[in-house]
Amino acid sequence: MLVLSRKIGEVITVGSQVKITVLNYDRGVVRLGIDAPKSIPVHRKEVYDKIIEMNQQAARTEFDAFKKAISLNKLYFPENKDSTKEIPTLFFSRNKSKN
Amino acid sequence: MENLSTGRKINTLQFGEFEVGEEHIFFFESGILGFEDLREFVLVSEEETVPFKWLISLDMPDIGFPCLSPWHIDLTYDPGKEFDLENEVLLIIVTLDDGNGQMTANLKAPVVLDIKYQRGKQIILTSDRYSPNFVITKHRN
Repeated sequence: MLVLSRKIGEVITVGSQVKITVLNYDRGVVRLGIDAPKSIPVHRKEVYDKIIEMNQQAARTEFDAFKKAISLNKLYFPENKDSTKEIPTLFFSRNKSKN
Repeated sequence: MENLSTGRKINTLQFGEFEVGEEHIFFFESGILGFEDLREFVLVSEEETVPFKWLISLDMPDIGFPCLSPWHIDLTYDPGKEFDLENEVLLIIVTLDDGNGQMTANLKAPVVLDIKYQRGKQIILTSDRYSPNFVITKHRN
């Protein structure tokens, strides 16, 4: 790992497009200003890690367990709030295919 | 070999084997966070889990994420103005905790689907207003 010392107001560049400025330091907290193009997402690492963790947990959801959780919780969602209707979707009905 | 069928057969964890036509395939250039190698997905709706949908990977068909419209959970959901909501549709991934039966929704990182170009990506919102594990169930096992 490259280690650099910077004073308040000083800048580090990463490649040609990213600039990180040390804004201030107070009681153990460093505030950084980051300039980066939109194509380079910048996030706190713990947020990023949490999202990966949630994705990994969701990735192999069992259909029956999920269905059970929906009915146990009596989850109801109003039809007219569904913004996803226009997405090309494959429709299934397990019951019908069994009969 | 004749190539009359445009459908591709996949064998999925949640729905077994089925065929997918090109018109249903979304291309994810950067995959899903944590699953960067997965490029092609299809959205499946199953009668028994409506209005949830399932975002199924064609590259690894044992991977499928339950999803929901964010406005089903939060009527005031506002992802910011960087989205073109005319052509882009947002979905949020829902996680079921096997341990306690609790369901959470990732409002912080919506999946954005471009309907016109059949492309998709997962975005992390910069706003601190939204949680990656917003609880949507009332009861626990």
